[in-house]
Amino acid sequence: MTELATLMPAPVDLAGYRLGPPQQAGALTMVPVYGPEHEGFVPPRTGLKLNRVVSYGTVELQNGAAEGVVIVPLHIGYIQHAAQNHALCSAALIAAGQTRQFETACCVQQTQGGLLQGRDQWFFVLPLELRREALELRDVRDFAKLWSAIARLNAAYGLPGRGHLEQILTRKRPILNQFRNRLEPLPGQVGALFFIGEAFAGMEIAPSSRYFADLWMPLVCFAYGVAAWQAEPEPAPALPYRAGNLAELRAELERDRAARMERVASWLAEPAVGGEWSVAEEERYLDLRLSTVTGDGIAGQVVTRDGRPVYASLFSTRWER
Amino acid sequence: MNTSELLTHFRTHGTPLTLSRRGELTWDDADLHREAWEADPEGYALLALVPGVREWQRARVLLRVLASSQAHLAEPARAVLATATRALLFGLAPSTAITALLAVRRLRANHKHTTRAMVAFALEHPDGDALVAARRPALVDCLEHALGKATARACARLIAEGDTGSPYLRSRLLRFTRDPETAMRRVRALYGPGVHGAPAPQEPPVALDPPRENPQVVTVTNRGDIAATLVHLYRGGSESELRPALARYVAEATRGLPRLAAHVALVLDTSASMRGYGEREWALISQAEALRLVLAEVCERLTVIETGGPAAAPAGATDLATGLLDALAAGPDLVAIVTDGYENTLPGDLARVVASLPGAGVTTPVVLCQAAFARSDDLTFRTPARNLPRASFWHQDDFAELLPWLFGHCAAGRDWIRRTVLDRLSGRVTALEGGRA
Repeated sequence: MTELATLMPAPVDLAGYRLGPPQQAGALTMVPVYGPEHEGFVPPRTGLKLNRVVSYGTVELQNGAAEGVVIVPLHIGYIQHAAQNHALCSAALIAAGQTRQFETACCVQQTQGGLLQGRDQWFFVLPLELRREALELRDVRDFAKLWSAIARLNAAYGLPGRGHLEQILTRKRPILNQFRNRLEPLPGQVGALFFIGEAFAGMEIAPSSRYFADLWMPLVCFAYGVAAWQAEPEPAPALPYRAGNLAELRAELERDRAARMERVASWLAEPAVGGEWSVAEEERYLDLRLSTVTGDGIAGQVVTRDGRPVYASLFSTRWER
Repeated sequence: MNTSELLTHFRTHGTPLTLSRRGELTWDDADLHREAWEADPEGYALLALVPGVREWQRARVLLRVLASSQAHLAEPARAVLATATRALLFGLAPSTAITALLAVRRLRANHKHTTRAMVAFALEHPDGDALVAARRPALVDCLEHALGKATARACARLIAEGDTGSPYLRSRLLRFTRDPETAMRRVRALYGPGVHGAPAPQEPPVALDPPRENPQVVTVTNRGDIAATLVHLYRGGSESELRPALARYVAEATRGLPRLAAHVALVLDTSASMRGYGEREWALISQAEALRLVLAEVCERLTVIETGGPAAAPAGATDLATGLLDALAAGPDLVAIVTDGYENTLPGDLARVVASLPGAGVTTPVVLCQAAFARSDDLTFRTPARNLPRASFWHQDDFAELLPWLFGHCAAGRDWIRRTVLDRLSGRVTALEGGRA
């Protein structure tokens, strides 16, 4: 469809990435991204394992694969029954066989006792509304650092104003889970652009389509699904096309779809970002570089190899509640 | 009102018929039933026996049939109505049937077929002994309305005096019954001292709808044999073992069903969401594919338009609007869209295309068959076109309701429903002859 590089002025070279036809579910629009399949990376559900929570705010992750690097997705979090749920505020690189402790994780459940164990794992990605603050606090060692932001988010969504993210993630999971089916990943898809309403919400690029398939549920249900759930519009009335026969009807449908795709493209053309970018390297593994990117209205992290992105999670910082 | 509209009304409007203490009848859709009866008496009565019709709609049909004259009908039509009436009498919960019969009495309708039906219910009901004990006054009212008060009481007196076959008793009562001995025993009970506080039977003696499986915990493999076998195939099970079993299960599910003399186009959603994930993986696509296999056996011609990947590997987005246009281009008599209801290319397109069809000169009926995992699925975000008739299905047992509803939307469906119901009734009536089915 469209070259991503011409539409998304990112501080990394997005040449070679293309956009596919958009899909919509309520307020959430997902534009698929196609691009190179990078080898040597282990998808998170296959290779990444939460070993344990060492203490509040300290999480131990392991790359259990025999070979290949795991890129820990930005703002990954784990939920477990009867244990305090944790999320990471930064992405990370973990080589095959490595175990790493992250002492800057945050609890996302204010009062629950108990520590996460390595079993019963499913992961989420922090909702868009919390991501800017989480990224800014990525180096702060304070397991309670997101509680006030979570409490604000809950209150804004009519839930008790407490630092309990599971009020949204688990109690609203039946609604949020539906985004997994309302939008559908496509074969070969390595990433996506997300819009809520007509506003840019985020861009996610994975090293491979398998990796992206693992990220699909956490992204559409939690990272972007929460804000979309709150913005769910009423279904539009079914206005008929002006067509006198089937051929005309098909043509009208195609014309209308093309117009709507152009409209989505126009959301991209109105830059979500502007002004200066800052790029700060966080860590490296061989020729991989993990950097934090900050611009006007956008932030996130990218992993590059020879200056070309293999992973990116960039989000709008204008979605706070 | 056409078959599909009437069947939809029968399936969705469940308001009870009521009789006040003074005997006044409240029947909110009486005009609709009268018009349907007048348009096609046989079709009307048989439609009430389609699986999934609400019980109070069946009671209304029983009331309408019994309250209406059949003098203008030919003998074959009367025979069909007699069969349908008997199925309804014993296929309704006894209290519901009694309400319908008392309503007939209230309408002061009395025809030969009314008399036969009332006598049959009062004296031949499979649970008649318990019913007589529990609902004696109501059954006496029915019997006296059917025979006339004086005649009924005279017959009761003769029976009490030991008469077992006098010309009077035979001509006034016994000729209306199939089992004189039981009839006389029940008349004695009806006019006897009665039993205080006897419990009334609650369940119909013969279920009008086919039995169905209701698992407490729904899994991908307890939603019918066809879907379960497909799930195992999709998971990579042995083709040599599973394919013959699949063919056998499809043959069993379609055995005896008449062919639908129509061209049906099936828009089959084979997008990624139809595959599902986790414990529900393959659930929706397997049941949708099961429906496709059944339709392929039953429909004279079936055109399938897949929207997404192949059924064995569902993938991609859901474009139902283009699928519908492709289906219509094949010139079918009926289009069925089978989907989980998640439309994302682009949401609202299907509804707009459907709304545009009249203007485009398309009169082909289009319906939506919604695949679900279980009866309790939340369909809030799964309604791609509110302007389409919709029925959901999750189990193979649902096909007994789904097929008549689906076929009722095309012209050939009326005859298919008639033949199917009559075939089923012939089995059911045989069962009734021997008492409890």
